[in-house]
Amino acid sequence: MPDGPLIVQSDKSILLEVDHPRADDARRAIAPFAELERAPEHVHTYRLTNLGLWNARAAGHDAEQVVDTLIEYSRYPVPQALLIDVAETMGRYGRLTLASHPSHGLVLQAADRAVLAEVLKSKRTAGLVGERVDDETVAVHPSERGHLKQVLVKLGWPAEDLAGYVDGEKHPIDLTSPTIPRTETEEPHTWEMRPYQAQAVDGFWHGGSGVVVLPCGAGKTIVGAGAMAKSGTTTLILVTNTVSARQWRDELVRRTTLTEEEIGEYSGSRKEIKPVTIATYQVLTTKRKGVYTHLELLDARDWGLVVYDEVHLLPAPIFRMTADLQARRRLGLTATLVREDGREDEVFSLIGPKRYDAPWKDIEAQGYIAPADCVEVRLTLPEHERMLYATAEPEDKYRLAACAPGKNRVVERIVADHPDDQVLVIGQYLDQLEELSEHLDAPLITGATTVRERQRLFEAFRSGEISRLVVSKVANFSIDLPEASVAIQVSGSFGSRQEEAQRLGRVMRPKADGRTAHFYAVVARDTVDQDFAAHRQRFLAEQGYAYRIVDAEDLDTVA
Amino acid sequence: MASTSPERTAEAAGTAGAPAGPRTFTEAVRSLDDAGLLALLRARPDLTAPSPSTLRSLAARASSRTSTERAVAHADARTLQVLESVLVLADGDAPVTPDAVATAIGADDESGGAVVARTLAEVLAAGLAWDAGAPGDPDLRPAPGLDEALGPHPAGLGPARPADERLGSSGKAPGRLTDGDARSLGELPPGGREVLDALAWGPPVGVVPAPGTPARAAVDGLVSAGLLVRTDARHVVLPRDVALVLRDGRTHRTPELAPPRPEGRGVRPEIADAESASAALDLVRYVDLLVAAWEETSPSVLRSGGLGVRDLRRTAQALGCDEATAAFVVELAAAAGVVADDGDAPPSYRPTTVADAWDELDDAARWAMLAAAWAPSRRTPWLVGSRDEKGTVRAALSPDLHRGWVPRLRGDILGVLDAQPGTALGADAVMTVLRWRSPRTVPPEQAVSGLLTEAALLGVTGAGAMSGPGRALRAALTEGAGDEALAAAMRAALPDEVDEVLLQGDLTGIVPGRPSQSLARLLDRAADVESRGAATTVRFTTSSVTRALDHGWTADELLGELSGRSRVPVPQPLEYLVRDTARRHEAVRVGSAGSYVRAADPTTLAGLAEDPRLAHLGLVRLAPTVLAASVPAAELHDALRERGLLSALEGPDGRVLGTRWRRPPRLERDAARRGAATVETPSDESRLALVASLRAAENGDPTAVDRLAARARDGARPTAPGAPARPPAAHPPAARPGDAVAVLGDALRDGRRVWVEMVGRSGSLERRRLKPLRLDGGRLRALDPDREAELTIAVHRIAGVEPAD
Repeated sequence: MPDGPLIVQSDKSILLEVDHPRADDARRAIAPFAELERAPEHVHTYRLTNLGLWNARAAGHDAEQVVDTLIEYSRYPVPQALLIDVAETMGRYGRLTLASHPSHGLVLQAADRAVLAEVLKSKRTAGLVGERVDDETVAVHPSERGHLKQVLVKLGWPAEDLAGYVDGEKHPIDLTSPTIPRTETEEPHTWEMRPYQAQAVDGFWHGGSGVVVLPCGAGKTIVGAGAMAKSGTTTLILVTNTVSARQWRDELVRRTTLTEEEIGEYSGSRKEIKPVTIATYQVLTTKRKGVYTHLELLDARDWGLVVYDEVHLLPAPIFRMTADLQARRRLGLTATLVREDGREDEVFSLIGPKRYDAPWKDIEAQGYIAPADCVEVRLTLPEHERMLYATAEPEDKYRLAACAPGKNRVVERIVADHPDDQVLVIGQYLDQLEELSEHLDAPLITGATTVRERQRLFEAFRSGEISRLVVSKVANFSIDLPEASVAIQVSGSFGSRQEEAQRLGRVMRPKADGRTAHFYAVVARDTVDQDFAAHRQRFLAEQGYAYRIVDAEDLDTVA
Repeated sequence: MASTSPERTAEAAGTAGAPAGPRTFTEAVRSLDDAGLLALLRARPDLTAPSPSTLRSLAARASSRTSTERAVAHADARTLQVLESVLVLADGDAPVTPDAVATAIGADDESGGAVVARTLAEVLAAGLAWDAGAPGDPDLRPAPGLDEALGPHPAGLGPARPADERLGSSGKAPGRLTDGDARSLGELPPGGREVLDALAWGPPVGVVPAPGTPARAAVDGLVSAGLLVRTDARHVVLPRDVALVLRDGRTHRTPELAPPRPEGRGVRPEIADAESASAALDLVRYVDLLVAAWEETSPSVLRSGGLGVRDLRRTAQALGCDEATAAFVVELAAAAGVVADDGDAPPSYRPTTVADAWDELDDAARWAMLAAAWAPSRRTPWLVGSRDEKGTVRAALSPDLHRGWVPRLRGDILGVLDAQPGTALGADAVMTVLRWRSPRTVPPEQAVSGLLTEAALLGVTGAGAMSGPGRALRAALTEGAGDEALAAAMRAALPDEVDEVLLQGDLTGIVPGRPSQSLARLLDRAADVESRGAATTVRFTTSSVTRALDHGWTADELLGELSGRSRVPVPQPLEYLVRDTARRHEAVRVGSAGSYVRAADPTTLAGLAEDPRLAHLGLVRLAPTVLAASVPAAELHDALRERGLLSALEGPDGRVLGTRWRRPPRLERDAARRGAATVETPSDESRLALVASLRAAENGDPTAVDRLAARARDGARPTAPGAPARPPAAHPPAARPGDAVAVLGDALRDGRRVWVEMVGRSGSLERRRLKPLRLDGGRLRALDPDREAELTIAVHRIAGVEPAD
């Protein structure tokens, strides 16, 4: 037992010494139940959470296994209180099950009468359940399946959903190889699912519903296509915005037997309902006179599968709608389950447990995403700007620092260092971006740019026609720019960790020539800009992307 | 009452032949040899204080209700069973032998018999029973006070009936039937058997069922058959003789000869030690934080004593624990003398000079200091927050948290834990054993769980089982080992020290073990701790680095320290953090000065700072027109005036002088208050001395008698107001209070009359011949045959007693 790679702390964090000979074994052993919290160079920190332990139970691991693993790999005696807590927490999952009863329909069954009594006594379950069938069983209104699961997680007795799914309307879908070209310039090429993608599809399908966590650029769309092929039914795909919807459509046409006619877009501009329909979150959450006007979409067809892209951004109304979709298979896709609003438990109860997860670095090591080099460029503000900053009102300080004029020169300098790369410049403030766009003589995409124009520019960038592009935060998500290999961030929204991750994701699609991606963040020294940058970078540093810090004056040394 | 009847005593004495055993308890005590007396005094410590003057008064004291109750209160279940058995059997006709007792208890096997014999020897030595038989032919009797002390239903048996009303009243041992009895038991009314069975093993009192029910018919039938007795309108009781028959002559259903061994989770010793060590480290850190927090703001002492609720909450916040834990830490720190009431007006709690010594100790020694303070503590911190009878919330450190019984209970609990090493025992399990150990005084469950929680916080237990350091503490309690032995035991349990920190690019650092003292100090200053336990995770932030710089480190020193303790070079982001922070840290500087000099014209100040005659002022030039000085403004002002400068004093509002912050002095208080908490138990020497003086008094050494009597009277007897100043009559009766009670007790037992000399209402002495009827609760009820009246006399008004016939 002594000299293991793990140190288990009583606050439920687990430290993994990376350089230990048994580190990889230990990592594999604890991955099913512990959440990787941060992965810097020497010691990685995992955390035991209730959701994590329940995820493990959902995946078929029991408490004894978890306890044995911890004891086996731990360097010091594992705190007893923690082991007891693990056993108790895991023992809570599945004491209640949702099942289909031959005569009573959907029922909540308990292996333990006391637990059933406890949850039925709670005010929160009132109205969600129907009549008592017998001592261990109570009927559930099918429409409340999702709400009940949500409530049960909150009460600490997560139910295992064994009630199954409706089959949905059949619609055969197959993956095609070689790809079907979308433009004249594109060449068909053969491809197959990467091993981890296939594992993710299997993991999801066995679990019924749930979330697949893959890094940006690791091909989440393909996992979605794989799941659709497996399901062979009509599918509803929910995405963050229209551009992303078009990219999904292109990928599906390219890699599956689906034709453009079979895929419908349901967005602000178009309202098509086809066997495969791609809808944006925005159109679904649009309200007119206090009513969601597009809810009929959810019942428009007998969907056999619902795919949620970027689950970590799922808005609250979609959760509510999802609660009504519990009889349909649900697949959530995301790069990170970290939600800035802390609603991870709703993802767990409504979409499903985490079914597959792979650390970024592992996938990078396998060559499926580009290795990235992150640099923070610290710009010392000149005297007069510092004076301006020092005397500014607190609410203006960030804007002042983020838009420091000196940054333009730094960006030019970096762009000059990468003459052969496709460079994206990302920022928050429009006037700053406009200025940069002029300086660099590069096109600018903002929220005001039309979809058509955006697509034209992205296509031109993708094809190498233009090599510089300045974008606002519209580019944060789901824009596939495979050949972007340098991203320069000049300003960001205060300190969102997942924004930083998404922006890095922009450059992490693997490059044709396997070159390293570069991510630069330009910050003004000794200002709130630097503080916010530190917060944002925390996520990436924790993912193992160590930042180098470079003074703007020393930029010559970077190459 | 089940006491030995006088007839039996006389008969036993008559038939035993020569050499006869003692006739009474008093005689039995008086015939003890020195070793026997010593054993008695040892077993009953309360008999020596105050010292009895004669053997007769010793016997009276030993058989008094208070002393007997005290002895019985702490007797374990085995002893009680034996005593109950002796008490019950002595009421029968057969001689009470150890074998008879063993059979009655149900311990008829050989080992059980041996245990019973040993226990009997113990109760004989303790004067709870005596042997009326001739040597070699034992016939055991309960001590006179025992039946009262054991209560109305010993062994769950009802009252004894007069001999002629009993079943089997033809002079046989209890529990043996005559033919007639067998008949009456054989012809029970319907349902009668169930009633008898329900009451047979006690409690013997039942409620009479409602009229008209079959159960009522059964009860009525039993009452008319003489098998049940109506005690009042609502209750019936099963008489002792009937119960004994039903019990087949046994007094107890199951013998409880050995303490129970409750089930508990198994805990391996290394797990127990590891948990113990981590608890100890937490506790030591709590005390550290407490000292720091109270040094900064000293909470004031409540007027009624103790720490206010709000201050406790604030302390708990500073410690990062719940309030119950904080209350324990505060109490423990106070017991160790690390913090104390400063006695100022108004008073507040502050760290003492002991805290200085504390700072110098290593973790193990600090723990030993706390553990040694805990062991004899009489405090009950688990009561903090509850309300007393008046509804006032009990405050931590308040005087009413004192309970004298705490050390004894603590010792008992540790004993229970130590008896089952490697087993985690919860409060319930410990209670089971404690209930066996003293069934008549079961400790409050709250106290037991409170002390168990304390033991866990202190690391005396680990994962619920006794730990190595815990055993060392127990040994220290029983054998009096020093703090050093305790510290050594904890040192063995603590994980090895690590002097290395792994620095990472995300500005965290990890110590993969217990940080050494110097490393801990460095990280305390320069980083914020994120997670503690087997390893320590820290995060470097601007504010933590600022803290280190505040302690006088420079960026280079700090980076040097860190890289010296890291296997890998200091990561670039950390280096940037330290350097950037240091750069900003030094940009604005703050110093302290006692006063300043400023002038509009720089020339006025020229040469002042360099003037050797003004060196004592500590002048420093801050700017061409400003000088700072280390002395107060008034002194500076005077010095400048002397040098011929026409200076004026100024202040923000005209006349205010600068003040200097001074650390509040730490209290001078000795921690060694622990000794005072232990009870002074008499040594064998003092007991032997007492035995000698008793012997002397018995043999009629008048000086010894008087001396002791005087002491006894002064020390123990509350003199009635208006007690006579003149000496008692020429014929001095039993003048010593203990003797008087002993003589009264003997007379009561034998139904004889005594001369009682008492202080009357007027304060004058009266002498009356009385027949004592009852001696109870400090009052004597007696019959005056001459006046044919009953009277009650407070014992303290009795000046003397002597046998009248």
